[in-house]
Amino acid sequence: MNRTASAFIVLLLAVIGIGATYFVQRINAPQIAAEQRLIESRKLLDLLPLETYDNQPLEQPLDLTDTTLSHSTLSGGYRATRDGQAVAILLRTQTQGYAGAIELLIAIDTTGKLLAVKTLEQTETPALGGHLGDWPNAWLQTFTGQSAKEPTDAGWALKKDQGQFDQIAGATITSRAAISAIHDALRYFDEHRSALLGSGT
Amino acid sequence: MNRSAALANALMLTLLLGTSDSLAGALGALLMFASVVGLYGLCMPVLRPRLTGTSALLAGLLLAATFSSCADLLAQRWFLPWQQTFGLYAGLIALQCVVLEHNGFWRSSLVERLKLCGMFGGLMLLLAGLRELIGHGSLGRGLSEDWPGFVVFSEGLHLITLIPGAFILLALLLAARQALIRPNSISKETHRP
Repeated sequence: MNRTASAFIVLLLAVIGIGATYFVQRINAPQIAAEQRLIESRKLLDLLPLETYDNQPLEQPLDLTDTTLSHSTLSGGYRATRDGQAVAILLRTQTQGYAGAIELLIAIDTTGKLLAVKTLEQTETPALGGHLGDWPNAWLQTFTGQSAKEPTDAGWALKKDQGQFDQIAGATITSRAAISAIHDALRYFDEHRSALLGSGT
Repeated sequence: MNRSAALANALMLTLLLGTSDSLAGALGALLMFASVVGLYGLCMPVLRPRLTGTSALLAGLLLAATFSSCADLLAQRWFLPWQQTFGLYAGLIALQCVVLEHNGFWRSSLVERLKLCGMFGGLMLLLAGLRELIGHGSLGRGLSEDWPGFVVFSEGLHLITLIPGAFILLALLLAARQALIRPNSISKETHRP
């Protein structure tokens, strides 16, 4: 037994180790990627109950037209379906808050009623407007069931602005931005309903 | 046990405290630890007589790194949520193999080795169970997708779910153990004039 033999064994081990790791990585890569996509989409879509849809909405983004709305910009749209029937439309919208851009994901059912809203990104003041980023979010839940026409245009505002919604305490600008973005998205849904829901509805 | 060995053994604390946030986390870590150390223990005896000095340690390092990275990849495939939370600690298992090699763990008898592993597993599960119970108020949450686990109370003590809380709990467990195994010596002390 000598040093050369030892070095040779170590070298052989290194080659086998690298080879085995590479091989395991190669054969598992597709499944790992699929798992990652599944977890990400579940995290993103936790505003819809899992059993209400059976497709992978994020895999089929919708082509949106006229994405610049009066107070916000739509950055994406997805259709959740069950047995081929559309059950909800998800709109990703971006608006300007107090400190920076706010990105919301808005779920609307086929009749134009709001299902849920979730904040994807925000840089509002922590402990004030920053509460917009909490999930689950009691303030955003107050919009559930509303639609573009109900309440009226005047009602789609903070109580401070003679509307009917409460605001997040100490965050008027953030609340205004969120309300306008949600209202914009609901109006957009009404205007582009057939295109968003696709054929068959 | 000399000072440097004790210090090297303290590396185990990272794994113990980091992954014992819940029973599910601890079980995953134990499973991974057992499979990597088990495979390592199977392969090293074949190699050890053929290697000298440093190259044995180097070979151990390569072997441990290979097993733990393969285990990490397989964990990503089957237990991705677990891996995303605790994958950080997978690399430490490889390091632990090398520490065991260095400290002469593999030179001790099989019974002694199994006893040590059993004690570590028991401590880890005990700590994880207690932390989950006190910190989250539940037991066995996240073990399976359609079983929510025993919910004992809804709001737990948040501190215990954090690493400092784990340290405090471990210290309390150690203190309890000391009190249990050495009650006589303490009573002797009190009777001294």
